[in-house]
Amino acid sequence: MRFSLPQIRHSYSSFETLAYLYTQTREYILDDIEIYMGETDWFDADMCAAFGAILYSLGRRLNEVSLIGIPQRVERILSKNGFLSHYGRARIPDQYDTTIAYRRFDVEDDHYFANYIESELIYRSEIPEMSPALLKKFRESIFEIFSNAVLHSKTDLGIFSCGQFFPNRNRLDFTVADLGVGILQNIKENIKEYAELKLSPEKAIAWATEEFNTTKRGKLPGGLGLKILCDFIDLNGGCIQIVSDAGYWQRRNYKIVTKRLSHPFPGTVVSVEINTADQHSYSLASELTPEDIF
Amino acid sequence: MSEEIKISIFEVVGSPLCVASGDGQKVYDRLKVALEADREIFLSFHNVTTLTSAFLNAAVGQLYGPFSEEKIRSSLKVVDAEQDDLRLLKRVVDNAKRYFNDPERFNQVFQEIMEDEDDEV
Repeated sequence: MRFSLPQIRHSYSSFETLAYLYTQTREYILDDIEIYMGETDWFDADMCAAFGAILYSLGRRLNEVSLIGIPQRVERILSKNGFLSHYGRARIPDQYDTTIAYRRFDVEDDHYFANYIESELIYRSEIPEMSPALLKKFRESIFEIFSNAVLHSKTDLGIFSCGQFFPNRNRLDFTVADLGVGILQNIKENIKEYAELKLSPEKAIAWATEEFNTTKRGKLPGGLGLKILCDFIDLNGGCIQIVSDAGYWQRRNYKIVTKRLSHPFPGTVVSVEINTADQHSYSLASELTPEDIF
Repeated sequence: MSEEIKISIFEVVGSPLCVASGDGQKVYDRLKVALEADREIFLSFHNVTTLTSAFLNAAVGQLYGPFSEEKIRSSLKVVDAEQDDLRLLKRVVDNAKRYFNDPERFNQVFQEIMEDEDDEV
């Protein structure tokens, strides 16, 4: 089977493309699958997380995946971030160190993920200078995304992450994808009141980003991670996109946009754009004391 | 007056990165034993650099299941925490109180979402 991949940006249309790729290949087992990338004249590197998740699911079904015809510029960036190492190419040094490596983690790899974030994002002089407050909020936000995937995806295929920063544009993009059950299915499985309701996949994402909403049941509360992430993105002036099942949800400048994908994505993707020039103090006018907590 | 005990999150987790729910569970296990033993607990955030709601939900939020608000308020003290850590902890605590007290919340918020108009790209 041969699939032609157009340019990939972290945008609604590229999520459409990747979901279509998944739909076209989901039945293949023990097959040869060629992804022709001759027309992929741009590839937002953080989208390797979503692309890699789909290719990994193909490999899981013992398909042999070949990426062919990759334009030199795209091949260079995908080699620098280690993505093409998974498909027979050598990793090449990142001279300008603007890539954040593509990695796959199992759900129990919290500590490996923490070390990855520290080494890729925190202790690198090439990362645009961010205020200490922003760096802390950003780091915590990344962990919130990963924790959300760990707690809700129920996947045994893994969690995929990748990033890229753009020093001249003061922007850092980071994406986490999982091949789990997705937000809609999670809601239906865990909240009996919703099991029979016709809830659209994009409404399901909207529901999951509201404070106090959680699919958690039992003794462990939940329901804050995505809301905390959204609050940070609002203040930072960045953007967050979430794709789950056939739902697409975007928040930028406090404004939410939702759309339906033509085909479902096999899990959930959370993609953030961070404004690295943000000088927000992230402090409140009134301070809390320890006596205010409980 | 009850005996005091200090629990250092850094010591329990073994790292300044307190981000995993499983690590939060380790803190919870100690807090639970100390609360059951009627100790006055000082929960120290010294040397903790990074926290997530997942960690704090497991470590502190789930205390509101087996223990009353009064018991937690009178027995548990937070020390060595930075202002934004306190803010996150407060949010987790408020969420946990609501989680254990207000099972009807889901229907309310769902209704609000269904009433929203979709924006188009």
